[in-house]
Amino acid sequence: MDYTIRVATLEDCKDIYRMIMVSRCGDRRVAQGGTCSVCARRTHGHSELAKHEKVSDQVKIAQRDLEQDGFSKNPFFQSIIAEVPEQHRSKDGHSKVGYALYFFAYSSWKGRSVYMEDLYVMPEYRGKGIGKALMSKIAQLGLAAGCNQLNFAVLNWNKESMDFYLSQGCWDVTTGLDYHCMRCEGPALEALARGDPKN
Amino acid sequence: MDFMIRAATPEDCKDISRMIMELAVYENMPDQVKISHEVLEQDGFCKNPFFHCLVAEVAEQYRTTEGYTVIGYALFFYTYSTWKGRSVYMEDLYVMPEFRGEFPGKGVGTALMSKVAQVGKEQQCVRLQFSVLNWNTPSLDFYKAKGAQDLTDSEGWHVLRFDGEALDKLAQMAPKN
Repeated sequence: MDYTIRVATLEDCKDIYRMIMVSRCGDRRVAQGGTCSVCARRTHGHSELAKHEKVSDQVKIAQRDLEQDGFSKNPFFQSIIAEVPEQHRSKDGHSKVGYALYFFAYSSWKGRSVYMEDLYVMPEYRGKGIGKALMSKIAQLGLAAGCNQLNFAVLNWNKESMDFYLSQGCWDVTTGLDYHCMRCEGPALEALARGDPKN
Repeated sequence: MDFMIRAATPEDCKDISRMIMELAVYENMPDQVKISHEVLEQDGFCKNPFFHCLVAEVAEQYRTTEGYTVIGYALFFYTYSTWKGRSVYMEDLYVMPEFRGEFPGKGVGTALMSKVAQVGKEQQCVRLQFSVLNWNTPSLDFYKAKGAQDLTDSEGWHVLRFDGEALDKLAQMAPKN
């Protein structure tokens, strides 16, 4: 099947947002014995997405946030789209069938890097190399911008994804160097920003 | 207060570079530092900087035996979450050993991290993320006391990386369109 990979435009935000919402739940592969972090069900199919109310609870950003944050003077992210020609559009009429969202980051040891935040291909378009093509394009754009690393995060119980990425030649920094990912948000972040004395 | 937190200038890059190396030595990986202070100047102070930096500076009477007054730094950049929106990533947080803990006034490390959170908040960031080496107990304790969650432990997140030849190979596969 023919497809093209291109840089996203403001007009693509509608489709990017659609795919963000779909990827969060209806398409989620739940590991053996695990539960979906969006709806807490053990497994579910794509057809259940439309009835799913909890997706909007988890995704806090709106389409206009993508437009503002990705396409203003100092964007917080970059995006690329996978598009198929008319004759291959989905049954719902979509020709934008995959996306990747990334941003430039920095290593104080190695310099410029690129971080791939999202990589998604609609289920019916998988197995055709579109995901790989999106990831390759990020690598290419990153190298062109002087980056020497492409980083991204995977859940360690997602064996299928782990195996796929490791087979492509990347390595597990968390296991290899014993770094743990940490986060401050909500009340803890508020307290930190205020400089509360008890900190 | 006997120290101040301020935005770094290009002239600070020599001190920042020095402290990057000190941090790498602490993490037992000094041979991993490949960039010079000139690269920092270029990447942090160009039109669209790849990072932002804060430094902690002490008053003259507290300068080190080598004569340094810039004794800590935090290096960070903006990131994005398609769940929650704008975020900030703190790549490095470091305070020279002699200025930790008992130093007069509020903790230097806390002040640096608070400033990163504050700057992030001004940009409407809702998350502050960073990495810690799992054996680095003093740092883990420091961060957990501030309410940080360990996402690797609690949710199983791992960071994967393409670099060197693997990255070149991946890039070569990109469609020519």
